[in-house]
Amino acid sequence: MAGAKPSVDLSPNVQRLASLPILTVVGTKRGDGAVQMNPVWFECHGGYFWLNSHTRRTWPKNVQRDGEALLLLVDPAMPDRFAQIRCRLVETIPDPKHEQIDSLARRYTGQAFRALEPGEERITLKLEPVKITGAEI
Amino acid sequence: MAAPVSKKMEDFAAEVYPAVLGTTRKDGSVQVNPVWFEYRDGSFWINGATTRGWFKHLKRDPRVTLLLLDPRDMFRWAQVEGRMVKSADDPGGEHINRLSHRYTGRDYQNSRDGRVWVQIEPTRISGSIDGWR
Repeated sequence: MAGAKPSVDLSPNVQRLASLPILTVVGTKRGDGAVQMNPVWFECHGGYFWLNSHTRRTWPKNVQRDGEALLLLVDPAMPDRFAQIRCRLVETIPDPKHEQIDSLARRYTGQAFRALEPGEERITLKLEPVKITGAEI
Repeated sequence: MAAPVSKKMEDFAAEVYPAVLGTTRKDGSVQVNPVWFEYRDGSFWINGATTRGWFKHLKRDPRVTLLLLDPRDMFRWAQVEGRMVKSADDPGGEHINRLSHRYTGRDYQNSRDGRVWVQIEPTRISGSIDGWR
């Protein structure tokens, strides 16, 4: 994958939003087709969005089943400005040493991630933006 | 069956922040939109122009999800799964104007024509407000 570039470039406004320690709302579909939404930590580099989850959560299972996820970023200073980013799941990467979740925890809390729960396994989801819509973006 | 709304949840819904509305397009893909909302009488109420994509989606499939997220504390959030149980014209924009006062403290500044209010009855509430579930 070295050197691979995502198919959609992020505009300066989206890049600025993605650099803020704000949550993204991840929209996925449940097995019955209804929408599920979860606030999730993320980081954006290399043009991709990188999320992390406990393997037992429903939302990453939804993403893995459908191969896609929708990310919403809202500007905290101006709620009318938001980006809706349709993403394709590129890769699910095990995070056995919880390096990526620690990196995310530092981005949001300034500290390493909490101690893992018994049996907790973390995964990283690498998401490629394929279409970006929104307002004032 | 409408899901019961706890006192904690009612208090959280009375706070002022936009919700995120989740609907599905005809092709099954997910769409999310920030929306103004209010909680009243066991239901969540939103308002939109009839031309909005999300309103058309709800006419086709009344299942809807609302995410309530405290913009000042990322660990306070609730996911409301529900159904659009009723929608009707908002003549004169009375409802959108009430939402405008809730969010901006003043009259609604944009066009009040062609607006509808939508009643969402919760069927399941999850998240951190009532304890993790």
